[in-house]
Amino acid sequence: ADQATEKVQGNFAGADYWRSVSDGTEGYTTSQGAEHGQLINVDGERWRHWRNKWISPGGLIAIGGSLGLLVLVYLTLGCMKLDKPRTGRLVLRWGLFDRAMHWFVAITFLTLAFSGLNILYGKHFIPEYFGYDIWKNLIALSKFLHNYIGPVFSVGLLVMIVRWFGHNFFNMTDLKWFIQGGGLIGNKHPSAGFLNGGEKGWFWALTILGLVVVGSGLVLDFPLFGQTRNDMQTANLIHGGVSLLLVAVSLGHIYIGTIGSEGALEGMKTGYVDETWAKQHHDLWYEEVKDQIKEPAGEEKSATEKGNTGRA
Amino acid sequence: MAKMKFLCDSERCIECNGCVTACKNANETEWGIQRRRVVTIDDGEPNETSISVACMHCTDAPCMAVCPTDCFYQTDDGIVLHDKDLCIGCGYCLFACPFGAPQFPKQGAFGERGKMDKCTFCAGGPEEDPAKQKAKYGANRIAEGKLPLCAEMCSTKALLAGDAQTVSDIFRERVVYRGHKDGAWSSLDSEKAVPGEMSQQQMAALADELAVDAGNIIAKA
Amino acid sequence: MKLTKKTSSGESVVAEKGSKGLGLSRRAFLKNTGITTGGIAAAGFMGNGMIRKAEAKTSYSNAPKEVKRTICSHCSVGCGVYAEVQNGVWTHQEPAFDHPINRGAHCAKGAALREHGHGERRLKYPMKLVNGKWQKLSWDQAINEIGDQTQQIRQESGPDSVYFLGSAKHSNEQAYLFRKFAALWGTNNVDHQARICHSTTVAGVANTWGYGAMTNSFNDMHFAKSVILIGSNPAEAHPVSMQHILIAKEQNKAKLIVVDPRFTRTAAKANEYVRIRPGTDVAYVWGLLWHIFENGWEDEQFINQRVYGMDEVREEVKRWNPAEVENVTGVGEEQMRKVAKMLATNRPGSIVWCMGGTQHTTGNNNTRAYCILMLALGNMGTSGGGANIFRGHDNVQGATDLGVLSHTLPGYYGLSDGAWKHWCGVWGLDFDWVNARFDQNKYNGKAPRNNSGIPVSRWVDGVLENKSKIEQKDNIRAMFYWGHAVNSQTRGPEMKTAMEKMDLMVIVDPYPTHAAVMHDRKDGVYLLPACTQFETYGSVTNSSRSMQWRDKVVDPLFESKTDHEIMYLFAKKWGIADQLFKNIKVEGNIPYIEDITREFNRGMWTIGYTGQSPERLKQHQQNWHTFDFDTLKAEGGPADGDYYGMPWPCWGDAEMGHPGTPILYDTSKPVAEGGLNFRARFGVERDGVNLLAEGSAPVGSEIGDGHPEFSSKLLKQLGWWKDLTPEEQKAAEGKNWKTDLSGGIQRVAIKHGCAPFGNAKARAVVWTFPDKVPLHREPLYTNRRDLLKDYATWKDSESMYRLPTLYESIQKKDVSKEYPIILTSGRLVEYEGGGEETRSNPWLAELQQEMFAEINPYDANNLNVRDGADIWLEGAEGGRIKVKAMVTRRVDRGVVFIPFHFGGKFQGKDLTSKYPQGSAPYVVGEAANTATTYGYDPVTQMQETKVTLCKVTPA
Ligand SMILES: Nc1nc2c(c(=O)[nH]1)N[C@H]1C(S)=C(S)[C@@H](COP(=O)(O)OP(=O)(O)OC[C@H]3O[C@@H](n4cnc5c(=O)[nH]c(N)nc54)[C@H](O)[C@@H]3O)O[C@H]1N2
Ligand SMILES: Nc1nc2c(c(=O)[nH]1)N[C@H]1C(S)=C(S)[C@@H](COP(=O)(O)OP(=O)(O)OC[C@H]3O[C@@H](n4cnc5c(=O)[nH]c(N)nc54)[C@H](O)[C@@H]3O)O[C@H]1N2
Ligand code: HEM
Ligand code: HEM
Ligand code: SF4
Ligand code: SF4
Ligand code: SF4
Ligand code: SF4
Ligand code: SF4
Ligand SMILES: [Mo]
Repeated sequence: ADQATEKVQGNFAGADYWRSVSDGTEGYTTSQGAEHGQLINVDGERWRHWRNKWISPGGLIAIGGSLGLLVLVYLTLGCMKLDKPRTGRLVLRWGLFDRAMHWFVAITFLTLAFSGLNILYGKHFIPEYFGYDIWKNLIALSKFLHNYIGPVFSVGLLVMIVRWFGHNFFNMTDLKWFIQGGGLIGNKHPSAGFLNGGEKGWFWALTILGLVVVGSGLVLDFPLFGQTRNDMQTANLIHGGVSLLLVAVSLGHIYIGTIGSEGALEGMKTGYVDETWAKQHHDLWYEEVKDQIKEPAGEEKSATEKGNTGRA
Repeated sequence: MAKMKFLCDSERCIECNGCVTACKNANETEWGIQRRRVVTIDDGEPNETSISVACMHCTDAPCMAVCPTDCFYQTDDGIVLHDKDLCIGCGYCLFACPFGAPQFPKQGAFGERGKMDKCTFCAGGPEEDPAKQKAKYGANRIAEGKLPLCAEMCSTKALLAGDAQTVSDIFRERVVYRGHKDGAWSSLDSEKAVPGEMSQQQMAALADELAVDAGNIIAKA
Repeated sequence: MKLTKKTSSGESVVAEKGSKGLGLSRRAFLKNTGITTGGIAAAGFMGNGMIRKAEAKTSYSNAPKEVKRTICSHCSVGCGVYAEVQNGVWTHQEPAFDHPINRGAHCAKGAALREHGHGERRLKYPMKLVNGKWQKLSWDQAINEIGDQTQQIRQESGPDSVYFLGSAKHSNEQAYLFRKFAALWGTNNVDHQARICHSTTVAGVANTWGYGAMTNSFNDMHFAKSVILIGSNPAEAHPVSMQHILIAKEQNKAKLIVVDPRFTRTAAKANEYVRIRPGTDVAYVWGLLWHIFENGWEDEQFINQRVYGMDEVREEVKRWNPAEVENVTGVGEEQMRKVAKMLATNRPGSIVWCMGGTQHTTGNNNTRAYCILMLALGNMGTSGGGANIFRGHDNVQGATDLGVLSHTLPGYYGLSDGAWKHWCGVWGLDFDWVNARFDQNKYNGKAPRNNSGIPVSRWVDGVLENKSKIEQKDNIRAMFYWGHAVNSQTRGPEMKTAMEKMDLMVIVDPYPTHAAVMHDRKDGVYLLPACTQFETYGSVTNSSRSMQWRDKVVDPLFESKTDHEIMYLFAKKWGIADQLFKNIKVEGNIPYIEDITREFNRGMWTIGYTGQSPERLKQHQQNWHTFDFDTLKAEGGPADGDYYGMPWPCWGDAEMGHPGTPILYDTSKPVAEGGLNFRARFGVERDGVNLLAEGSAPVGSEIGDGHPEFSSKLLKQLGWWKDLTPEEQKAAEGKNWKTDLSGGIQRVAIKHGCAPFGNAKARAVVWTFPDKVPLHREPLYTNRRDLLKDYATWKDSESMYRLPTLYESIQKKDVSKEYPIILTSGRLVEYEGGGEETRSNPWLAELQQEMFAEINPYDANNLNVRDGADIWLEGAEGGRIKVKAMVTRRVDRGVVFIPFHFGGKFQGKDLTSKYPQGSAPYVVGEAANTATTYGYDPVTQMQETKVTLCKVTPA
């Protein structure tokens, strides 16, 4: 017995030791590096797993799926043309400020999306197809843009939410709109107010997911408030996951705004939409504003244009 | 081809920080960048145990797997290196690294951490001009046929570096001498470690396993 | 370049270079890193081409490399270093795998040595303080001004008013020259770190068995079966020694026992850790001996043959029954018995002690008690045993040996006229001329020439004490701090007052030091930039008495000058250069180092510093790889048979070729081959009892028994006089082994197998010391007032080393209510001493950026102090420091530990702005010694830095 106890004496690092360090226990260190007291960062592996095994492929699936779906929709339905010919009479839909804001948000969003996607997926194909030098610059640019545009976008998004949330409350009309699948089910266009159910959906998706993306993005962007490595990992997972989802959803919006539906883009470009378009897509709203319709001659209605669309 | 590995024998490590300043000496990393550090668990308490840690040059390196720029590469010796020209300082490698090895010069706003720096196993980095290589990545001792300075200078020879097989041979020899298995900072199956209850053969077999690969720890962590 | 992936077919440049460079030789390198345990690891290790260059040029300079061999300057282990120099720049530091002591290994300080080649925070040129501002001046001007002022003081107050504080950082040559320099100035007011380091060891040990030094070597500890470390923390203070200690533990199954009030990093490696109350070492050792005697575990034969006075010790030990030991030390009977048994059943055993034992008012008692423990166990004079006293600075052993001390001349010759005459003979100087340099008056009946000077621990009192109470003409009015940081001395606030009172302060140091900033002087302070040991060359003696030669690595940085050059400049200014350098060639202003070595070789007979000629030293230096890692003996090669560094005594002259003495008092070898016995130093009999060894002598001794020291008379009696050559006879007539400059007496004694210094018993009682048998006495500041009736301190003394010294009158005052916590201090691995050098090294400074105090969670909670919070720590004499709390169980309840390496802050005030521009260290902090208190060992004047009282309050 004496011999056995003698053998165990001394400070060998036994089972307990390994158990304790591999659950992330902190020790003492003279190193000033952040979290240098921790021998094993247990969460790193969890993070890598989630990011590389779920978020990364998940994002591809979501975005790819979204794109695929849109292609399918386009192939089966084609562009949603106006049912009737344009009357040439224009209705003011988006004021200058609204348009500016929209494009500001859209452009920053897209910048973030492209740079974000590059950060996540770029390495898998860009260096191979475009070479090291291009990759080197592109990824550095992506990181730079993403880091700096992020906060800019955040401000834009907040302003947008505040400004637009008023006309995005759901009502019975929207329910019906949804029941009719936005017009896909049945033959007739579902009724809609200034914004239809789909648009409102997009708005709220953007608001909720966007805020999450912004919040997590800011945590990642400003690692100055004592965020631990662990916090950063969590923020990254949330950020990655949610932003990819948002990108996937945004594709739908962009699809409709561009090739999906004739006439919609005009509204965001010029502020005015054609009477026909308004009737077809937003009949209830049309009823409200038809008396303000601008004649094709196009004389200025500057008061309305500059100000509010009157719907807030 | 040899696989380069570190092993820190905690029975020997006395937390003298020799390895830490040796690294400074070899690589002249700036103030605040510590490629190697010594961590003491149970500091000041009966089970006090110290371990010297740096990059473990993992076989299936997590840092490599998450780096957005793909700037890591592994040499034929198993040394994990990275290209600072490519690094964007995103910090992902640090998030992923089980050992907290990646270091960043400064932590500015906008996630700007500067180019990542980490232990190179004293193997320099991807830069042909020796002067530039030295300035950017520190020493390339491997090219000179020398091993990492941290291990070479370790005060008690606790820190071993080199070919995994040789390192494990040395450690195995110690285990046999000691008559009990004890901690080493390398891969280690702690469950099997029952000091005093193993035959010499068992110990030798276990010791062999110990000195191989950090990957196991990672897998378990 | 194109990146190469692990999987890609294209080879990366790095991998290519790697694989080429890693061919055959890599296996050898691998072994180097791992070489530890013999067997496979050892095979093929020695003599490999560690600096083999690969084809690839990787250094950032293509200039050819010169490889210099030097020795780490940060502690007494004496680790070897390869310094690679290109174009005069120290570009690489490589591990010296073939060095017999460290095998390439270093602790933080040694591994950061190359930073000395940068020295950004060095003092760059001479400076003086003018109206509170630092002003640059030329060397000429500085030497002239200081030279004039000191001479003025000399005229007014005598030579003793100038104080020469030397350094354990000096090489042997510089140290020796420094002592001589002070002597020729005409004072014994010269001292260095050893006083406040191991002085009590040197006194205690030398008075026990003859020589005051570590008896075995670091390497020899491989053979120990047990190692008891008491008041020593090598994991931080001598880290590379741990390589050897852990080898003993692993390969030899040695039991490690650590006795320390703190659970140190060394304790973390121990088989048994014993926590004692600070300041109770004598009680602890007697407690062990109680069990040893009780169980008959002592080595009877050894005691009978080789120890005098053990019976008196037995009497004292009887008092120390387990209950009393527990009451005093706090260690219970069971553990006492366990440790006693461990020591008894694991022989040979080695004892290691350091500052935990020495730095006490009772230091001399502690060190003797440790010796007695080893004597009782028969652990002396044997491989694997011994008193392995790890010394401090890189050359504190050498500087001590060469007498940079206020109580002796080089070689422990003392200060008697005989000693002066011996050295005057070596110096080729007229004794009367030397004598005339001194103050000829007597004070308290003592002539300053023969009276010990004021020790470094007391210079503050030398300045502040009432003139009439000092045994010299006047107070100290000028101080040279020549390689010695002042924050290493106790009683900081009083020191500040002293500094402000003096006429002149001269700091000769590579760094400005705390001394440059802690006072509020406006003028009268000079800073002279000295070189480090990497900017010069010479010999250095490590803890185990091995002398090692250092190459010069780089030229002096900035405008700094070597210490010997600065001494020359002052000597010239004072008109004593011709005498000081009579036998020493001076080229330009630079004295020739080898001539200095040869000069002390000619005089250092007492301790055998005579055989280590520069040539032999350099030969050892060039052949590190030929010395055995366990025994330190050269096998083959040009130094075949020598022990590494010719550990002193290396008897006779160099021609005699003595190999050095690797283990002191080891009778298993002939004296000619490094064997020895205890020294006959204390007479041949006392009260009718024989003091000489009985039936014990080194192998091959023709006397075969104890004998007195050799003299011409003894040689004649033995009929060995005729063995001397006629010239030797002429020189040796009327001389003894210490004073015969021809070395003939030593040669002949050794020829007959005898130790020149006689063969006696070690003495367990020292009748010339205040406590004949070491006694436990409570520290001056103690909170165990209940123990004072049995263990009170000594009476105050009128005169010790020229000064009145207080004991009883301090202990009597009870301050333990106000200051309830025991304060102790010590080391951190990253910093050295006062820390100015190491805190100016960014590679080290980065690791310890904050002065702190270790405090037990229990006390911290009671005092409402959180980990990392600022606290005020106030010492029992009112000195206050503001530091961070480190809450840890490393210290016991009621004990606070502080490291003493910080400076540049004083009682809450940051002094950084007071440093000359660009020379403030990277890290500043409160000096521990601002809070330490009075207390001096009665034999050596060691300061008390290990036990006092304090109070802690949240800041
Ligand atoms: N890193 C580093 N190394 C150094 C130095 C340095 O400054 N820094 N300095 C060198 C020098 S000059 C020296 S002298 C050596 C000193 O080396 P050491 O003496 O080993 O170092 P210290 O830390 O001063 O003290 C050793 C131990 O004594 C303990 N102690 C305190 N009081 C008592 C007591 O009453 N009894 C006992 N038994 N123990 C006690 C302390 O808790 C401490 O752990 O180190 C040398 N090496
Ligand atoms: N509270 C407390 N106080 C202590 C101790 C303790 O444990 N606790 N320990 C004590 C002990 S053991 C010691 S040894 C002392 C140590 O204390 P010091 O000896 O005062 O400490 P160092 O900082 O090593 O001082 C050496 C100085 O020499 C300078 N120097 C280096 N090389 C050279 C050179 O070649 N030439 C010249 N001219 N100068 C040079 C350095 O810059 C430094 O300023 O402290 C003692 N003080
Ligand atoms: C090229 C891409 C885009 C196009 C062509 C586009 C087009 C449009 C159009 C035409 C509208 C008006 C719809 C209507 O009048 O009913 C609109 C509205 C809107 N767009 Fe976009 N858009 C794009 C990108 C984005 C992006 C990236 C975002 C957000 C990050 C965004 C957010 C919005 C929001 C919030 C609305 C208002 C919907 C509501 O309030 O419910 N758009 N977009
Ligand atoms: C709204 C659109 C956004 C999208 C689509 C997006 C997308 C992404 C993606 C895909 C990543 C990579 C995740 C990974 O590799 O695991 C990423 C990283 C990051 N995002 Fe975003 N993000 C968006 C907005 C923001 C915002 C608003 C901020 C900050 C305010 C931000 C800050 C960051 C940061 C700091 C990173 C870490 C990458 C680095 O520092 O290099 N992002 N983002
Ligand atoms: S230790 Fe960390 S940095 Fe090094 S290879 Fe592994 S994951 Fe990468
Ligand atoms: S910090 Fe640099 S090396 Fe690390 S993951 Fe980011 S880009 Fe890669
Ligand atoms: S291998 Fe080289 S770079 Fe890595 S920690 Fe050791 S010294 Fe530093
Ligand atoms: S040098 Fe060796 S003993 Fe010292 S801390 Fe590093 S690994 Fe541990
Ligand atoms: S400080 Fe001492 S132990 Fe450390 S490297 Fe220097 S000589 Fe060796
Ligand atoms: Mo010391």
